Amino acid sequence: MTAIDRTTLKVLIADDEVEFASTLVARLKLRKFSVTMATSGREALAVIHREPPDVLVLDLKMPDLDGLEVLASLKESCPDLAVIILTGHGSLDAGRQGMELGVYDYVMKPVDLNLLIDKIEGAFRSGTVQKGKQNGKGAC
Amino acid sequence: MRPLSALAHKLVPYAFKESSIFSLHKRSYGQFRTLLFLVMIAIAMGPVIITAGLGYFNYKDLLQKEERGQLESRLVGSSRSIEALIDSLKSIVMFVASKNRYVELTTGNNLEELFGRIKRQYAFFADLGVINQAGIQQTYCGPYDLVDADYSGEQWFKEVIDRGVFISRVYTGYRHVPHFAVAVANQDPKTRKTWVLRATIDAVTLQNFVNTIKTNASDDLFLVDDEGSLQTSSEHYGGNISSLVAHLGPGIQQGLSSEGQNIFYAIAKIKNSPWSLVLVEKRYIHHQDWTTFRMRLLVIVLACLALNLAIVYGLVTMLTNLIRKADEMQMTMLQEAEHTDKLASIGRLAAGVGHEINNPLAIINQKTGLADDLMQLSPDFEHKAAIEGCLRVIDQSVERCKAITHRLLGFARRADVHSESLQVNDVIKEVMQFLENSMMHSRIRLDLQLQDDLPLIFSDHLQLQQIFLNIINNAIDAIGKDGLVTITTHLVAGEVRVVIQDNGHGIAGDILPHIFEPFFTTKETGKGTGLGLSITYGLIKKLGGDITVRSHVGQGTAFTITLPIHSENNDRN
Repeated sequence: MTAIDRTTLKVLIADDEVEFASTLVARLKLRKFSVTMATSGREALAVIHREPPDVLVLDLKMPDLDGLEVLASLKESCPDLAVIILTGHGSLDAGRQGMELGVYDYVMKPVDLNLLIDKIEGAFRSGTVQKGKQNGKGAC
Repeated sequence: MRPLSALAHKLVPYAFKESSIFSLHKRSYGQFRTLLFLVMIAIAMGPVIITAGLGYFNYKDLLQKEERGQLESRLVGSSRSIEALIDSLKSIVMFVASKNRYVELTTGNNLEELFGRIKRQYAFFADLGVINQAGIQQTYCGPYDLVDADYSGEQWFKEVIDRGVFISRVYTGYRHVPHFAVAVANQDPKTRKTWVLRATIDAVTLQNFVNTIKTNASDDLFLVDDEGSLQTSSEHYGGNISSLVAHLGPGIQQGLSSEGQNIFYAIAKIKNSPWSLVLVEKRYIHHQDWTTFRMRLLVIVLACLALNLAIVYGLVTMLTNLIRKADEMQMTMLQEAEHTDKLASIGRLAAGVGHEINNPLAIINQKTGLADDLMQLSPDFEHKAAIEGCLRVIDQSVERCKAITHRLLGFARRADVHSESLQVNDVIKEVMQFLENSMMHSRIRLDLQLQDDLPLIFSDHLQLQQIFLNIINNAIDAIGKDGLVTITTHLVAGEVRVVIQDNGHGIAGDILPHIFEPFFTTKETGKGTGLGLSITYGLIKKLGGDITVRSHVGQGTAFTITLPIHSENNDRN
C-alpha cells in the first residue's frame, strides 16, 4: 500500500462545536492534512458543492441540518463521497442509518486522533477505489 | 344503613378488615389464619355440640322419667304388699276373736291352747292376751306374767275400743325385742260388754317381709311411724329420721344423700296402720346405660372435633398460603415493574448525561491533544515536563470519562433487535472461546452442561453474546482464582433457560436487589463502572427474556437467564 500524500488529501470537518472543530482542524493541519471546517449542515453542503473534499467528517447533531439529513442530501448529489460520522450523540440506530446511507465508518466522540487519522486515510483509499471504478470522475 | 355498616365495621376483626383493603402492605397472616381457623371450627363444631347437648339432656330427661315411673310403681306395689300383710295379720286376730267367746278365752287354759294352735301355724306370734272392757288383762299367754295388767289408761286401748282394731308402732317393750301389737275389740253377746284380744307379733316378721320386697341391694326400703322412728332397719339411716320424714310430702322427691349422691325419696302411707313406707333410691338406676351413652356421645363429639380440627387446619393453612402466595406474587410483580421502570428512567437519564458530556469531553480531548502537539513543537522551557505530565493525566482522565459515557450510551441503546434463528449452545461456546485464556490464567475450570437437543431460538446473536460475556465475566471476577463455572442449558416450559453458576464469594442479601441498577458496583473506584449487569438486564428484557439471581455468601452465585423461543420484539421505544 502506497503512502498517502496528506497534503493533497482534502478533509472537511462539519461540526457545530466550533471549539472542537477548530482544534481538530489545527491538529490535522499540524499533521499536514489539508483541512477545512464547516459549523453547520448547510455550510457543509455549500462547501462540498463549491470544493468537494476527499473525506467528510460529519457530526450528527447540528442546529440547522443534522448529519443524517446532510447524508441524505449527499446521497443524491455526491454518492461517492467518503463520509465518517464523528458524534457524541452516538446510538447504534443512528450508526445503522448512517451505514445504510453509505457512510464509511462511525466513530464516537471523544476520539483518539490517531484512530481518526486511520479512519480518514482508510476512507480516502476506499473513496479513490470508488472513483477509480467510475473512470476518474469527480466525487460530485 | 349507615349505622349498620358502621356497627359491622366495628364488629369485623382487624385481620379481615385488612384483607378487604386491597393494598400492598404486609398482612398479619398468623392472625388471619388463627381467626379463620376459629371461625371455621366454630361453624363446624357448633351444630355438633348443640345436637350432642340436646341429645344429652333429652336422654337424661327420658331416663329420669322412666326412673320415676319405675320408682312410683315399685312404691305402690311395695305398699300394697305391706298392706296385704297387715290385712292378713289383722284378719288372723279378728278371726280368732270372732270365733272364740270372751268367756271361753278367760276360762281354763283355753287361751293357752289357742295360742299353741296359732303358734304352730304362725310362729311369729309372740303372745296373746284378753282384756276386759275396764282395761284389765284377764288372761295372758306368752313369756311374761301380764295377767291383771291395767291398760285402761293406754292410748291404744282407747283407740281399739273406739275403732275396733288397732295396730301399734314397733316397740321393744319388756322383752327388749322389737315387736308390735294387733288388738281387736269384740262384744260379748251375752253381757254386751266389749272385750279386746291383743296379739303381739315379732317385728322380725315385718323386717323379713320388707326384705323380700326389697329388690335392689343398693336401694333403701323401710317403714317409719308417724313420728319418724324406724320400724324396720334401713341401709343408710339409723334411729329417728323424723327430720327426713317431716319434709317429705307424698309422692316422689329428689334430694341429696349424706354422701352427696343424687337420690329419689318416696313415701307412701300404709292404710290402717301407723306406718309409712319410705323408698330411697340412688338416681339413675340405668346408670350403666347412662354411662355408656355419655361415653359414646363424648367419643363422637371428640372424634368430630379431631376430624374438624384436622380438616379445618389443613384448609386454613392451604387458604392462607394461597393468599400469601398471591400477595407475594402481586408484590413481586409490582416490585419488578417498579424496578424495570426505575431502570428505564435511570437509563434515559444516563443516556442524556452521556450525550451531553461527550461533546465537552471531546473538546477537552482535542485541546489537550493540541496542547501536546504544540509542546512537541516547542523548544524546552521551564516546567515543560511537568506540563506534559499534567496533559497526560488529563488525557487519562478523559479516557476514563469516555469509557463511562460510552457504556452509558451502550446501556441506553435503542438499537433494533436483529433476530435470527440461532442455537444458544453455539453462542455460549463462541463466548467461551473469548474467555478461555483468561479463565486458564486464573485457573478457573469450566463445566458445560448443554442440552444437546435444545431448540433453535429466534433472537439477536450479538446481543446474546454480550449478555453471556457480561455474566460469565462477572462469574470469573467473583471467583478470582481457582474455581468452577458451571453453565447449564435446558428447555423449561417452552423457554430456553441458561444457568451460569460460580462458586465465588457470593453476593450479600442486602446488595442482591441492587445489582441490576446502573452505577451500582462493589468493585474499587475505577475498576468497574457498575453498568455491566444493568446493560445485561436491559438487553435481556429487550430480547423478551428474563434474568434472576440467587446467591449465598461464601457458596456462590447463580444467574438464570430465560429466553423465549420465539422472541417478540418488545422494544416498544
